[in-house]
Amino acid sequence: MLHGPDARLRLITVLLIAALLPILGQLVRLQVLEHSQYQNEAETLVSRQYSLPEAPWGVIMDRNGDLLVGNVPVYNVGAEINLITDTMMAASVLAPLLNRPEEELLATLTLTQSTQTLQWRPLTNRVPAETAQKLRELGWSWITLSPTWERYYAEGAMACHTLGFVNASGMGYGVQAFQLRFLRGDRVQRVGPVSGDTSPLPDELLNDSLTPYPGTDLRLTIDRTIQAFVEGVLDQAIVDYKAAGGTIIVMNPRTGEILAVASRPNYEPHRYPEYMEKGQESIFRDPAVSIPYEPGSVFKVITVAAAYDSGRADMNWTYNDLGKLEYGGASIRNSDGAAYGQQGLQGILDYSLNVGAATLSTQVLGADLFYKYVRAFGFGQTTGIELTGEAAGIVHLPTDWDWNDSHLATNSFGQGIAVTPLQMAVAISAVANDGVMMEPRIVLERQYADGRIVPIPARELGRPISAETAHVVAEMMAHSVEKIAEAAQVPGYRVAGKSGTAQIPTTGGYDPQQVIVSYAGFGPVPNPQVVVLVNLERPDVPAHMRWGMHIAAPVFQKVISRVLILMGVPPSDVRAAQ
Amino acid sequence: MQRLLARLLLGVVIITTVLAGIYLTVVASNVHTARRLWEMENQMAAVMRENQGLMAEIARLSSIPVLQERSVALGYQPAKSIDYLYLGEP
Repeated sequence: MLHGPDARLRLITVLLIAALLPILGQLVRLQVLEHSQYQNEAETLVSRQYSLPEAPWGVIMDRNGDLLVGNVPVYNVGAEINLITDTMMAASVLAPLLNRPEEELLATLTLTQSTQTLQWRPLTNRVPAETAQKLRELGWSWITLSPTWERYYAEGAMACHTLGFVNASGMGYGVQAFQLRFLRGDRVQRVGPVSGDTSPLPDELLNDSLTPYPGTDLRLTIDRTIQAFVEGVLDQAIVDYKAAGGTIIVMNPRTGEILAVASRPNYEPHRYPEYMEKGQESIFRDPAVSIPYEPGSVFKVITVAAAYDSGRADMNWTYNDLGKLEYGGASIRNSDGAAYGQQGLQGILDYSLNVGAATLSTQVLGADLFYKYVRAFGFGQTTGIELTGEAAGIVHLPTDWDWNDSHLATNSFGQGIAVTPLQMAVAISAVANDGVMMEPRIVLERQYADGRIVPIPARELGRPISAETAHVVAEMMAHSVEKIAEAAQVPGYRVAGKSGTAQIPTTGGYDPQQVIVSYAGFGPVPNPQVVVLVNLERPDVPAHMRWGMHIAAPVFQKVISRVLILMGVPPSDVRAAQ
Repeated sequence: MQRLLARLLLGVVIITTVLAGIYLTVVASNVHTARRLWEMENQMAAVMRENQGLMAEIARLSSIPVLQERSVALGYQPAKSIDYLYLGEP
């Protein structure tokens, strides 16, 4: 037995140490031996992915800064259903707010089997801010509101094919799909310990900013006013001529900027899921860049330019037009079947002589030279415009397996060759721009969220013909308008143009009734500022009226006369006086 | 000796208390700043949303159909002819 205070003190010390030892042992076990296991468990309990609401996508503006595509803040609504106290009442209150049938909502909100874990179910997507506010005012903690965005098309269906859309999986059409990597904003997401209200703990916040990066804004080359006017003219033309569709392109030949491009049929981009549900995906294809057609006589401009530029035919060159030419097993006739006697390059354009064009390609140029020019004008290859789904068209070359000798003759007047309306407009723009063919552009500049502005420079596609050839051909086209195409003449302005009427290929031949009428031209001459191409598909008018000159030329006239005014281009006499 | 030890102990306690106070102040300040930062970032996101909503509303009000409707209501008509006056340099 121990006696005395010292002994008792020692005993107490020993007892305390003995009591502390298991605690120390446990500490070592928890903090050292099993540290990583408990660390993981703790992190699993408090760690969550956290971020700020996603940043908006970049907006799209026209060349003057007017908004074409913006963003509207909306909310996705969900419910933690095992926290609901009165499901019947909740369903009846939410049904009108969420625009869902009450029975359907009741089924969604009802917990089918008892569970300890939180059951979350989505109720509806993309409700506007006003509805979200009403839901907040209900004070129901089990309702979850996730902020998100909806694309807003300020002008409705206007320029729908150009603007396009992108679905949830990043697929889409138009400039939005093409420029998706710039338009889409970046969300900053991290994983770390969060507090009870799921906001990150202070230590986490000090690491780095969570502010998301908004997408890059795009300023397009489109002029909203010209676009709206062109769409109105196209709609009216389709009604007047009972056409199945059509395209009008307005571009600046000097820079390649597309000022307006309208196509029918069109669609409302924000309703794209509805079109997809109905299986109408084909409506999304842009006829201006994705659907090739046989250009018809507009192509004679290319043939005449090639013949003149090659030096094989000048303004004194003539041939005897007998109204018929046999070549490669094909019998080429003029559209009216008539013989025109001695004709030159001007006559071929004035009277749109198929025999003359075929004479140039088969007897003056030959296949190698003719197709060298066809390729130089960009046919059979994409133009590189920043739109999805651009088609290259179809050009049969002598080296192709499906080549037929008759192609050389028929291609010269735009038959047996398929081009997109944009390719045709770009080729004509080379004639308007001193022989220089500019790459068509739809994006003028990118405006980054940090304030940087990156202009997209104009780019030359090539020089298919010399400046001299371009001037001569432009002069011939202008002369042709003055002499023959009264419907295309613009009071006060000298314009150049060429009409086309193309049959529509079917299996084993051509549709005997249906045609595509077109007119391509530019103005004013000299020093053209704008190129206009008009295409109308399958006009339902009497047969004698079914010609590009009767249908497309007046539409061209209507467009170019207004566009020249909207662009502030003075009449030719004022320009001459300057 | 004992007085010296007592002073030393007191000194250690005081220094520890001061350091602990400074540490707590810095930590509290950090927490406060982080919380404020989070609030401000949230505010910024909310302002961004409001801004985008307002931009869309402005675009709606200045869209071509709305402008046309307002122009017609104000009595404007499309220009039918334009006269250019060329003033030569003196």
